[in-house]
Amino acid sequence: MARLAAFITLVATAGCVTLPPDTFVLTPELLKQRQIETRKYSGIEEKELLIACSNVLQDLGFNLENSEVRLGVLTASKQRDAIQGHEVALAIALALLGGGATPISKDQTIRISLVVRPVRLSDGSPSQKEHFVRITVQRIVRRTDNSVIARGLNDPELFRQFFERVSKSVFLEAQNI
Amino acid sequence: MIRGRAGVLVTCVLVSACASTNERVLDIGDQTQLQKRAYQSRTFATADKDKVLRAVISTLQDLGFVIDRADYTLGVVSATKLNVYQLKLTVSTRPRGKDQTLVRANAQFNVQPVEDPKPYQDFFASLEKSLFLTAHAGE
Repeated sequence: MARLAAFITLVATAGCVTLPPDTFVLTPELLKQRQIETRKYSGIEEKELLIACSNVLQDLGFNLENSEVRLGVLTASKQRDAIQGHEVALAIALALLGGGATPISKDQTIRISLVVRPVRLSDGSPSQKEHFVRITVQRIVRRTDNSVIARGLNDPELFRQFFERVSKSVFLEAQNI
Repeated sequence: MIRGRAGVLVTCVLVSACASTNERVLDIGDQTQLQKRAYQSRTFATADKDKVLRAVISTLQDLGFVIDRADYTLGVVSATKLNVYQLKLTVSTRPRGKDQTLVRANAQFNVQPVEDPKPYQDFFASLEKSLFLTAHAGE
């Protein structure tokens, strides 16, 4: 957590930019992203689904940071190295050409928030057995010169694979495995 | 004489540093407490705390935020958006009368508080859509 705070501080002090004008406006792109980040699960109660999801996060090596079961919220994070072969090769090539030390990705923090919410029935009441699971993911990469690049992740394939694991976990939960 | 002057200079630096820390902690700016509350708050015609908090969370996720923490008892949700910049938002809800809920948001962009009413208007407009309710001027 302290590491994350240090990362964030670096990010925060890095830019003298201003808030982009439409940051809080729901655009069609954002609504498309909602589809990618959400899956519906049927035949399972909210608490059981949340437990199945927290097991998936553990399967993926995340550490739980915060939770509020009453609102179906889980927040988790993990730190991993971020060294990439092609970056190293390029840095060596540039150094050989006399370009000096090129900063490369060193380590990364991946943060995820997972939210379970009941499907609303036609009368507006929450369903007991049908729920949406939605995740939002961020990646904060620290480079060898201690600069930081932080952004949200939106690759559809990442979400597809994640939800595949949730489906398996829901199945295992139902079978009590 | 020189020593005395240096002493005054050091005192001046210390005093000014102190004032500026207090200004930062208390966020003393041009706006009054009431002005801030006015543009940071809206009321919604529902007393359903669960519905409002879940709508807040889902709106924040729609806008690309990761939920940092949520607390049902306090009625508070905090979230962060990272997109090269860092944007942090805390949203609190509290009942107002028998059938209304007051929602308040405050945002921080990198190392600056967000003091322009427009982003808050946009946020509440997005929340309205998620709640299927119209927001009314707060406080």
